[in-house]
Amino acid sequence: MGQRHREQREMETRERVAGETGSAAWPGLSDPAHDSQRLFRQILGAMSEPGTLETLAVPVPPSDALGAALWGVVLTLCDLETRVWIAADLDSPALRQALTFHTGARITDDPESADFALLTHESFDPQTSFALGSDTYPDRGTTLMVAVERLANVGPSMLSGPGIETTRALDIGDTAGCRALMDRLAANRASFPQGLDMIFGCGARLAAVPRSTRVTRADAKEVN
Amino acid sequence: MNGYNFAYLDEQTKRMIRRALLKAVAIPGYQVPFGGREMPMPYGWGTGGVQLTASILGADDILKVIDQGADDTTNAVSIRHFFQRVAGVETTTATTAADVIQTRHRIPETPLRAGQILVFQVPIPEPLRFIEPSEQETRLMHALEEYGVMHVKLYEDIARYGHIATTYAYPVKVDGRYVMDPSPIPKFDNPKLDGNPALMLFGAGREKRLYAIPPHTRVESLDFEDHPFEIQRWEHACALCGSDHSYLDEVITDDQGGRMFVCSDTDYCQSRRGEVA
Repeated sequence: MGQRHREQREMETRERVAGETGSAAWPGLSDPAHDSQRLFRQILGAMSEPGTLETLAVPVPPSDALGAALWGVVLTLCDLETRVWIAADLDSPALRQALTFHTGARITDDPESADFALLTHESFDPQTSFALGSDTYPDRGTTLMVAVERLANVGPSMLSGPGIETTRALDIGDTAGCRALMDRLAANRASFPQGLDMIFGCGARLAAVPRSTRVTRADAKEVN
Repeated sequence: MNGYNFAYLDEQTKRMIRRALLKAVAIPGYQVPFGGREMPMPYGWGTGGVQLTASILGADDILKVIDQGADDTTNAVSIRHFFQRVAGVETTTATTAADVIQTRHRIPETPLRAGQILVFQVPIPEPLRFIEPSEQETRLMHALEEYGVMHVKLYEDIARYGHIATTYAYPVKVDGRYVMDPSPIPKFDNPKLDGNPALMLFGAGREKRLYAIPPHTRVESLDFEDHPFEIQRWEHACALCGSDHSYLDEVITDDQGGRMFVCSDTDYCQSRRGEVA
């Protein structure tokens, strides 16, 4: 009975917050200190071993486009010290309100000033001028959080470099956007230490590819 | 502990350090500036390492803290007690049982496994600092990959002593790009940095810098073709466990010149003695 009572009260609270902020359907972390620690360790694991898949236990947000995993990353890493850029296809008053309500992050229209960028494989444009950092401060670059078509450890893109013992295959999808994303990651090598770090999400699943990773396409190799 | 957030640091600070850690992992060997906080211990006691540990530590983690390889020295004991109090985590002295290992100046002899995180306490993170005092200059040198001066320093050793006399904080190159100070670990431990399956994080509290070596990363110790990198060797074996392949401390036993050599890694030595006995 206690359980049901609590659930009902939680629902009422959620509805009330919804009325006030319009963001109630976007869930926060129920135990911020421990939940964000757990999520961060998974994100750190994904970033330090590029291409490995992590499944994040995060309350599912109402918009499928972003996905639970990336919403979890937002809740874990964003706060009032960070600027977030949102691509047009993800942008909505509800997301903006939820972002402000849960994290206090500032939303920016200028991708070059963004610490984090939220986008999907469909809205990825290689021409968008995200911050790459400088040669003296390469860490001052935008981290991209990209919702992709799928995440699996199969070809044709092969990753190697720090965090990978030999090679690791990563498939994020077949669309033009997904190909452009992998091409952009492959181009990171030429500008290192400047570059873009990407965190991919698909539902509750997550993978990351930092700028230190070498990306090659298996089918391109055969041509050579 | 009442009145403190889990693991002492407030959530805002942890997020700031976590964001910096992700950039450090993305750019292996590059020193990321971070907003170092005052910790309830003096600089030089591992405030950088403590802040990193506080930012990554979870309630389920098992923590090990070592100082020069030993679990029972002042620095190790006080930091272990600190986290027992502010995070209530389980602690251990066994390298194999630990999820997070904070270390001052050693890498455990027992090989680390995937999933473990080794947190180093770093006094001076900039390997070029004793050659070039200006931060602006060293930052530019890193940007331009201008590391010739480091080889000159090692060459001066050879010119003066006939061999490279640097024995600790021996500079390394990470993934063929950044020259990095591995913290004052003996050069004996340098080969363990290369291709290690564990994640290695470095925190310098006074200098407010953190950096990282992801698992399975290529880490080379700087050297010359005709003077290749070499680690220390001893003519003795450990007087307690008989190990002839671990890093040994020389212990003076009396004022008659008596001395013995024992493993610096106390957990390794004890577990070996347990196996032998």
